[in-house]
Amino acid sequence: MIYLLPSFFPLLASVFCISKNDKISEFSSVFASLASIAASIYIIFMKPAVSWLLYIDGFSKIMLVVISIIYLTTILFSTTYIKHVSKPLLSKSSYYLFLNLFVLSMLLSVSLNNLGFIWVGIEATTITSALLVAIDNDEASLESSWRYIIIVSTGLIMSLIGVMLIYASMHTLNISKLLNTSPLDNKLFAIGAALTIAGFSTKAGIFPMHTWLPDVHGRSIAPVSAIFSSVLLPTALFGVYRVIEISSFMNGIKMFSFILGFSTVAFASIFLITQKFYKRMFAYSSMENMGMILMGLAIDTKYALLGAVILIVSHAFAKSSAFYTTGNILSLYKTRNVNDIKGLINTIPFGAYSFVLSSLAVTGAPPFGTFLGEMLILYAVFVKFGLVLSLLILLFLAVAFFSLNYKVSKMSFSTNGDSSKRKDEVMGSFVPILNTTLAFLTIFAAGIINNLLNTGVIK
Amino acid sequence: MKDVYLIVGFLQIVFVIFMQWQVYLRKIVITFALSSAAIAVFLFVNGTYLNSINLIILAFLTIAVRGVFIPYYMLKKLKAPYKDREPRNVIPTALSIVISLFLVVVAYVVYNFTLYDITYVKAGSIPIALILQGIFLIISRNNAFIQLIGYMVMENSLFLLAGYMFPELPLIIEGGILLDLIGVVMISGIVMRLREDTVSNVIEEFEEFKG
Repeated sequence: MIYLLPSFFPLLASVFCISKNDKISEFSSVFASLASIAASIYIIFMKPAVSWLLYIDGFSKIMLVVISIIYLTTILFSTTYIKHVSKPLLSKSSYYLFLNLFVLSMLLSVSLNNLGFIWVGIEATTITSALLVAIDNDEASLESSWRYIIIVSTGLIMSLIGVMLIYASMHTLNISKLLNTSPLDNKLFAIGAALTIAGFSTKAGIFPMHTWLPDVHGRSIAPVSAIFSSVLLPTALFGVYRVIEISSFMNGIKMFSFILGFSTVAFASIFLITQKFYKRMFAYSSMENMGMILMGLAIDTKYALLGAVILIVSHAFAKSSAFYTTGNILSLYKTRNVNDIKGLINTIPFGAYSFVLSSLAVTGAPPFGTFLGEMLILYAVFVKFGLVLSLLILLFLAVAFFSLNYKVSKMSFSTNGDSSKRKDEVMGSFVPILNTTLAFLTIFAAGIINNLLNTGVIK
Repeated sequence: MKDVYLIVGFLQIVFVIFMQWQVYLRKIVITFALSSAAIAVFLFVNGTYLNSINLIILAFLTIAVRGVFIPYYMLKKLKAPYKDREPRNVIPTALSIVISLFLVVVAYVVYNFTLYDITYVKAGSIPIALILQGIFLIISRNNAFIQLIGYMVMENSLFLLAGYMFPELPLIIEGGILLDLIGVVMISGIVMRLREDTVSNVIEEFEEFKG
């Protein structure tokens, strides 16, 4: 029962949000996120759980902690940011209600012991977040919300077919049983696993089913973009990993996942060069990171998996920080165009430094955790596929690094900024700085992550 | 049971082709309700035949959710001008029917050359044809209501597939899928309504969505 505590608190907060009282909704959401973090950290020290409903191993525990922390920072950032939305689609209490339900569906998705339930959980994230995407209540945000619903739901239908075929070949969807069962029909299982991976990958923004992602990240408000990029995409990849795990005896499935990951890195890196809008640019950066993570999960060796999980954790903090700062920039400059933003260092000095550092972090610069994660994945690629492919991936990472950091540096350090716009809000600046710091500190948590992945518990 | 499956499967294809050429949204929603009712009948008959209480419960859930609630909710959300006609089609009606029929043939050929050797179910191409047609309905129409119906056609085909080929699939999972569908439809209804209020020309790409 205690394993359900991280999910219980957002559920409780949702109930309070129904009261329609903005203050109660806000306070209960902050309390729930704090309690959720405490419960997730407590679970780290408990034995892995396997029951008919729950399957909580080391990876699940890491996901619970990361989702809970991003939950808290998103709520804290929202408390000051939401007032910048001029004609919000939802009232404050409804916004917190959907945010809590959205987090609840993610927390459950990483805790369940049934592939069918995981599908339901991931589809539930679409339902609970669609209105959050449209909160700006303008043409473009409504259009992006609709694209999100229809593209992701259609992709998830593919994974539902896959789940059914896995059931047909294994006669169970229980993950702990699937891990110890051989399929009755290998071909049927392979098709099922491939379809499930392709469907979940749609939700994770993996090429070629990624088309919703830049639109949604580009048009939704900063806290929503942040929580999407930092934990929703990894939650979908977590579903992909469960399928890779149960099909570990099939190299073809791993290769299929690897190719999807590699194509995503290649595509996103190339598209990053031409991006004119900064939020959209970070969306492509998320794709690039998800591609790397998927490659790590697909190779599934000790170092590759460790690298992928370190990258998930560090990317979550760094990317959320970057998106929070884009919110501060947008509220100040009222434009998403990179070329219209100059001299951030004069207008939001703390924000500018945090923006530059978080951009460096999401592109895998040392000393951030993302650097370690990407290096471990590259090492695993080198060991498995040789030098040429490793160099090719390195080239794509370099392209992404220079494209993104050049634009962010131009926005931050160009000299002719309008200092009359100067404005640093306490919470608006504190949260991105906190998350950038956490992205750095992840590198010191590598040992704990490794321990959790190997033994499922910290003693 | 195979005969009932074939009849219902054939009916589903006919219903989708009808939706493909139909421009009156109200009629498309009613056609969807009928196709869902046909699937519920199939699940009920198969449940009785196999003595499976799960399938019978699923049949009732299907008729209640897909056959009644969702069409009713959609008709309520349809605004007056859209109740009558869809403003424009991306693909001309005649061509869309030809493509629909072509997709049925493609599904049959693809299934027989690939999946039949694995599943050994002779009419297994019907759900695949329906999935392809659902996707085609989504991409060939501009109207969000019809796109949502395209999505639900795909889901219907899965219920047909599951009801025939995997009747022992746990009810709790299929129930969860149905609950999700209610959520998707309700949230979509809100977004579609707002979108039709604000989006002046849905075909036109916003500059920011390029690239």
